[in-house]
Amino acid sequence: MGATRHRITILDTGEVYTCPDSVSVLKAMAQLGRKGIPSGCHGGGCGVCKVQVVSGEIETLTMSRTHVSEEEERAGFALACRCYPGSDVSLKVVGKMQKAVKRPYGFV
Amino acid sequence: MGVMRIGHINIRVLDMDAALHHYGKVLGLEKTDMDPAGNAYLKGWDEWDKYSVMLTPADRAGMNHIAYKVENDSDLDTLGKRIRDYGIDVEEVGAGELPYCGRSIRFWLPSGHLMYLYAEKEFIGKTVGTTNPDPWPDSIQGAGVHWLDHALLMCELDPEKGVNKVAEVTHFMQQVLDFKLTEQVMVGPDGDVQAATWLARTSTPHDIAFVGGPVMGLHHCAFFLDEWTDVLKAADVLAKNKVKIDVTPQRHGITRGTTSYFFDPSGNRNETFAGLGYLAQPDMPVITWTEENLGSGIFYHTGELNEAFTEVYTEGA
Ligand code: FES
Ligand SMILES: [Fe+2]
Repeated sequence: MGATRHRITILDTGEVYTCPDSVSVLKAMAQLGRKGIPSGCHGGGCGVCKVQVVSGEIETLTMSRTHVSEEEERAGFALACRCYPGSDVSLKVVGKMQKAVKRPYGFV
Repeated sequence: MGVMRIGHINIRVLDMDAALHHYGKVLGLEKTDMDPAGNAYLKGWDEWDKYSVMLTPADRAGMNHIAYKVENDSDLDTLGKRIRDYGIDVEEVGAGELPYCGRSIRFWLPSGHLMYLYAEKEFIGKTVGTTNPDPWPDSIQGAGVHWLDHALLMCELDPEKGVNKVAEVTHFMQQVLDFKLTEQVMVGPDGDVQAATWLARTSTPHDIAFVGGPVMGLHHCAFFLDEWTDVLKAADVLAKNKVKIDVTPQRHGITRGTTSYFFDPSGNRNETFAGLGYLAQPDMPVITWTEENLGSGIFYHTGELNEAFTEVYTEGA
């Protein structure tokens, strides 16, 4: 029994990769060594992988309400680690590592 | 007298079935109870109190509270007074309100995390018993962790705005709860900003740790294993179960622990931590890590921090 495979397009970078419907959009990206969506807890808890689905169908597992409100969910925002594609999907990256740029004090 | 050890952590989970599989079958904690509100209680096979992990179903990941066990009931009064005198409000909590525990006191740490102290919790006993016990039980599942070892809490740190909750909470833990500072990271242009601390009440290198970050939170809770080979085997178990591993087995410079980090199914970070590290006696001098060696302090072999490790964590309240 083969999984159905879909094309995921990260609009910000133009990255395109294949994601089986049984694998999360984030995990499929990471497994292929691709980049674009920040990768964190893979459990819907930390929020770094937040995206906005611009086109296509996704199914989602529970996502921490801290990071995606009900209103945002209706507007297509989701956590990529909790998204399973039901068709080809195009998305924009919303989440980011908090202070990737400047780190004057060790951890922050 | 005073605080003995970490008692339990109350973690919020998004999917209870997935969480029970993770903490039960994968980590190897034993489920001891479920309450009508849907909370699950678990303990390690080598622990004797009813639970060290309380899982609460919720729509947000993170930590509700952390609890430490004190030696005598009267410690709750002594410490309660000292906490109030320090300027922090203390709430007296009736027996049973903290599940399966006697009376307790509750207060907010200067870092914004909720802490309970209690003296009594329902007793269950180690799985191997106390009469001619075997070294480990045959019922061990998955990684077979022994006990909840410590937690690392993220604290707001923004020195340019004069905010350093790491230093504030560390001062409180030392002055009021009599924790011993074992290690610290000092950063900033003059090396005078305390950006991370490890503190102990037992003779292990830490029973709690605090690290500075942009917002407060729960960085991880850690479970004890005997030795390095157990950490390796635990990582095999995690991989078999498709658990998201954050950091594969390696060594910390700080605490000398051998370690592996991973996430529970709700994105809360866990650690398996092995080895004594060293004997943290009260007169042991404090160990200091400087900013340029921060990477080695955390990950001794590579000497490099990984971005997700310092920036990905769940809520602390
Ligand atoms: S990686 Fe943490 S919420 Fe998706
Ligand atoms: Fe740890």
